[in-house]
Amino acid sequence: MGYVAIKGGGRAIKGATAVLEMLRTSEGDRGTPLSLDVIETQLRLLTSRVLSEGGLYHPPLAALAIKQMQGDTLEAAFTLRAYRSTRPRLLETPVQDTSGMRIIRRISSAFKEIPGGQILGPTFDYTLRLMRFDLVDEDPKTFRSFVRRFLKDVPEDRLPTNFPRVVDTFRAEGLLPPASPRDITPFDITREPLVFPVPRSAALSTMARAETGSLLALAYSNMRGFGDIHPTVAELRVGYLPVLLPHPATGETMEMGEVLMTECEVIAMYEEGEDGGSPVFTMGYGACFGHNEVKAISMAILDRALQKGMRDGPSNPSEDPEFVLLHIDGVDSMGFASHYKMPHYVTFQSDMDRLRSTRRKAEGTGQDKTGKGYDPGGDPA
Amino acid sequence: MNVESNPFPRHQWVRLWCALPNDVVEKAAAKCAHSMRVDDIKSPEAGLALLTLRDGALAEPYYLGEIPLSRAHVSVSTPEGKNAEGAALIMDDRAHLARAMAILDAVLAAKLPGWESAFALLEEGARAIQKMERTRKAILATTQVDFSLLASTEGDEDE
Repeated sequence: MGYVAIKGGGRAIKGATAVLEMLRTSEGDRGTPLSLDVIETQLRLLTSRVLSEGGLYHPPLAALAIKQMQGDTLEAAFTLRAYRSTRPRLLETPVQDTSGMRIIRRISSAFKEIPGGQILGPTFDYTLRLMRFDLVDEDPKTFRSFVRRFLKDVPEDRLPTNFPRVVDTFRAEGLLPPASPRDITPFDITREPLVFPVPRSAALSTMARAETGSLLALAYSNMRGFGDIHPTVAELRVGYLPVLLPHPATGETMEMGEVLMTECEVIAMYEEGEDGGSPVFTMGYGACFGHNEVKAISMAILDRALQKGMRDGPSNPSEDPEFVLLHIDGVDSMGFASHYKMPHYVTFQSDMDRLRSTRRKAEGTGQDKTGKGYDPGGDPA
Repeated sequence: MNVESNPFPRHQWVRLWCALPNDVVEKAAAKCAHSMRVDDIKSPEAGLALLTLRDGALAEPYYLGEIPLSRAHVSVSTPEGKNAEGAALIMDDRAHLARAMAILDAVLAAKLPGWESAFALLEEGARAIQKMERTRKAILATTQVDFSLLASTEGDEDE
């Protein structure tokens, strides 16, 4: 076997890039370039997904990544992460309190009369999954006037923007372990490799920027029976979290912006309290940038499963931190899958040589022709 | 409304200016800076901040991800020798925008020449935020569940 030179692809690679651009613009004279505002607004859930999986809350750049990568969420998240890797880290924020979130949706499946009430907000939960053919040829005038008409019909209300957490009610009744905030330094997954065992903060950060489908698949395995979490959604919240930092001149806390996020707490099977105390429910927690409820719920289920696995040892895949945390990152897993498209000429030549050699030997000796388990110096069984 | 009875505490100023188009803020800051000396106490920077939250189950801190951050800290001096410090931290990639807000922050805090336009922008920003809040309140009001309507069929929909 000789070395296989890899040359001559430069022109084709340039051509492939041009073809991508040609297909993106293939509407020609009839086409209109997508604006980032259109993507961010009309494809808001797609934008949410990309900025959460990219690990960077930057809606305009998430929209740009979606446009550039022609709707491929994995590639878009990859691009966003590549961008963030070029930016300097200026600071870590103080711990932000999500109870200050400006809510647009909050629901609980634990009980209906939650303090502050249930707010459905924007959700497809109660819509029929039937095609809306009126969107095929949408009237721009109707489209542009909807917000105005919607707001006109809504009465002024006195609803607050912040709501008490549902779990605080359970805590007040002693049904949950007390929240005792700990000031430990969280694990930074962008700077440190995951060497197991890892602390829970590493698991939370890894899941917060995980690929939605991967997270769902593993959580689903737990829901279906490869686990025993049996979760109840104590609260699912979507809202804008004000980011507060000290003003450099006055030291007073100021708001520098807000982050749309989804947060979920699930209540799971009860266990004996600490130090032999009364039994209390256990909990799982999920959160992510943007509006992505399936991701937050899946993360909360896996958080609870991993807590059990970290404490007692895993009894199924979703409780195994190494199995879960090393297989949910979209950029990692997409990269590994994609690398198989790259030239493997040398390694495959080697495989071919081995196969030919094995076949020659097998034909000469009459042994196993599949090559499987073939070991001239070992036990043929 | 005037600045003597400024209803906007300083910690809200950046939020209100951020609600406006960037060029409006930058033009106002450039106009203020034209007749004054602006020194950077710290060079304006743009980069990222790691967002730290506390989880709702076990109250442990963790990092949700990163956010864009620009910051500036300036000293503004008038030809008459009046001096003030201003600063801004914003969720944005543009350090020059943070610097513009830091200038307005100093000008308004010490009522340096041009403070009226900085204050007017606060009012304009407040109106923009009020509009956004109205939309969010409409979302809440429109979708708040009223379980009293189910009273006559209590139990039908409970799992």
